[in-house]
Amino acid sequence: MVSDWSWRPGVLVALGLLGLVVLVFVAILNVGDTTSSSTEFAGIGDILLVTTVQAGLSTLFSLCVGILLAWSLRHRHQFPGRRILLSLLSTSMVLPTLVVALGLIGVFGRRGWWNAVLGEGGIDLLHISVYGLGGIVLAHTYMDAPFMARGMLHRLENIPVEHFKLARGLGLSSWQRFRTVEWPALTPVIPGQCLVVFLLSFTSFAIVLMLGGSPRYNTLEVAIFEAVKLEFDLPRAVILALVQLAICAGLVLMAQAFRPASAAQAVQRLTFMWPESRVILIMQWTIIGLFSILFLGPLLAVSLDGMGADFSRITATDTFRRAFVSSLTLAAISAVVAITLGLLMARSQRHFSSILRSGNRSSNNIWLGLLGFSATVYLAVPALVLGLGFFLLARELSADRAIVAPVALIAANVMMALPFILVILTPALGKAADKYDRLAFSLDLRGWTRWRLIEWPVLRRDLGYLLALAFCLSLGDLGVIALFGSQDFATLPWLLYQHMGSYRTSDAAGIALILLALCLSVFFIVPRLFEGRSHAET
Amino acid sequence: MLKLEDLSFHYTGNQDGESAQDYCFDLEANAGEIVGLTGRSGSGKSTCLDLIAGFLTPTKGRALINGDDISARPPGQRPVTILFQNNNLFEHLGTADNVALGINPSLRLTPTQKAQVNDALFKVGLDGLAERAAARLSGGEQQRVALARSLVAQKPVLLLDEPFSALDMDTRDDMLALVRRIVTERNLTCLMVTHDVRDCDRVADRRYQMVVDNGNRRVEEVQT
Repeated sequence: MVSDWSWRPGVLVALGLLGLVVLVFVAILNVGDTTSSSTEFAGIGDILLVTTVQAGLSTLFSLCVGILLAWSLRHRHQFPGRRILLSLLSTSMVLPTLVVALGLIGVFGRRGWWNAVLGEGGIDLLHISVYGLGGIVLAHTYMDAPFMARGMLHRLENIPVEHFKLARGLGLSSWQRFRTVEWPALTPVIPGQCLVVFLLSFTSFAIVLMLGGSPRYNTLEVAIFEAVKLEFDLPRAVILALVQLAICAGLVLMAQAFRPASAAQAVQRLTFMWPESRVILIMQWTIIGLFSILFLGPLLAVSLDGMGADFSRITATDTFRRAFVSSLTLAAISAVVAITLGLLMARSQRHFSSILRSGNRSSNNIWLGLLGFSATVYLAVPALVLGLGFFLLARELSADRAIVAPVALIAANVMMALPFILVILTPALGKAADKYDRLAFSLDLRGWTRWRLIEWPVLRRDLGYLLALAFCLSLGDLGVIALFGSQDFATLPWLLYQHMGSYRTSDAAGIALILLALCLSVFFIVPRLFEGRSHAET
Repeated sequence: MLKLEDLSFHYTGNQDGESAQDYCFDLEANAGEIVGLTGRSGSGKSTCLDLIAGFLTPTKGRALINGDDISARPPGQRPVTILFQNNNLFEHLGTADNVALGINPSLRLTPTQKAQVNDALFKVGLDGLAERAAARLSGGEQQRVALARSLVAQKPVLLLDEPFSALDMDTRDDMLALVRRIVTERNLTCLMVTHDVRDCDRVADRRYQMVVDNGNRRVEEVQT
């Protein structure tokens, strides 16, 4: 066993995050204690019921679309544009929610393309309303189905080629193949992925705010926002936040229990092509084609609408410039902090899962549990609850809003990005350790030398991707800023929301395009900077 | 000379259902000698090498090299080099750099040291491949590079952990012959762990095997 202290900073980070959550909780509880009346509970039951239905439907649709798409992409593994489609799928996670909402309005809204094509006399059934329950579920499916599809595709591509050959040799039909080879590969990840999507839909904020249309479809997040900003009813906001905390914490703990053993194999190059029947082929192409059109449509709508905007007027205002600068600054700081904390935590996780480093003690599992939970704590403490906590803390301590607001924003952004970062860094570090630890220990590679020779070549691509991901997540988020935003302190999504709220449609379209362009270019360019000329094949 | 005295390890099992296990190793190998250690997969052969190399901490017992107890030293400071079945090289580095790691982990070498690297590559029959990326070498070539690295490291004990099991018959014979030659020339002490008794028949001077005794795993010398 090697004496190794690299686990300490990560554990401190984990404890710090949990401490922060406790602080928020205490701040909220403090206010909750001093007041209590029955009006605060009004309507919570309805909110829960409607939100559960909404989140359930969103999950169901995302799952179905995700599986169909992954299955089609697995078998149609060579066509022009497939790579582009795959990388577009990965952007669904970082697309600013408000931009998605605008895009969907552009396509399916009253004056959108869809209804224009159908014309006035079209069949009533096909006229889609983008507002209300349907719109919310549509938007959630739009954002979460690609997330599902990516996870599922990864599982499908990890099925050993031999299994397909065997199935073929046994004369299985495509349907039997799905049942015996593909479905069993998917089932272990389905509960976990569904819980994540359910949680995301359950705590959805910007989409519901934009597309809900009426308070009927409010999520708790939106209700908290309205209690604070519109009704000035802090006690009610506190009760809502506590209910939200309890439910989400329960769901996160459940999600942890459903985490499957990770498929450690590398993605294989497909060397065996299953000759599909004509019906199946048509089905697969239709799924891919339809999805591509539906996915690109809203992005195209945002781009075309945005191009008509008067950019010189938009960018001339002080508010825009300040929002632009603070958006970029906050996103950059959040991304760097998130990556740093993520690396430290991943190092601790590596330590406790390696017999060479920590010996094999039963206490290792406790440490791993602590690290894992504090990484997913964001899901348990959604942005608005966290924001409310900071909001109340600032009031309590009569601290300066100008300082508290950016801190709250960065904290929320970091916590939002951490689960994504760890889900990639932890296995990557672990794999490098499995492969090279013995060799590195016996060659006495340590510290900077070891990082340069082992971790950096293995991680650099992932780090570039994660940096871009964290940056974009922060850049596009409308959560905490909704509570703290003002003329003096704004971000681009907040500004966009203001413009949409006051029906300055053209300006809104322009800002949406700027936001979209920023996100996509960072997301595609930053990882390239980290690729380097190394010939590491990973 | 390598001597293990009651070198023991207790494995507490894991969540995947592997059960607890006690290991105890007593064996001796002299300079210039290749000693084999055989046993089925999972019998604990590699645990023995992990203990000698310092990847695992023994619960009791000693490991002596030329009379010094090394069992408390960190892996990098033990007078041993080890060759694994795979992952012996950093795939993104060139051949020469991989060898140079045996001299200086920061890869800054003096001209004499560079000559040493080339010399070692020549000895294992790989001169001319110095610049090639390790990922583009064949399995046999990769093991030769790792051997070259153990040559420049100049440590008296060479541990082989199934190093040739993944190679084809002919390559394997070549490698075994190469190890034999190096061990004799440099007067190294070599402990070779393998599941294949024929490897030992071919080059080993003596052989131990893993046995299970009252649930404990230990080694016993095979008399020929």
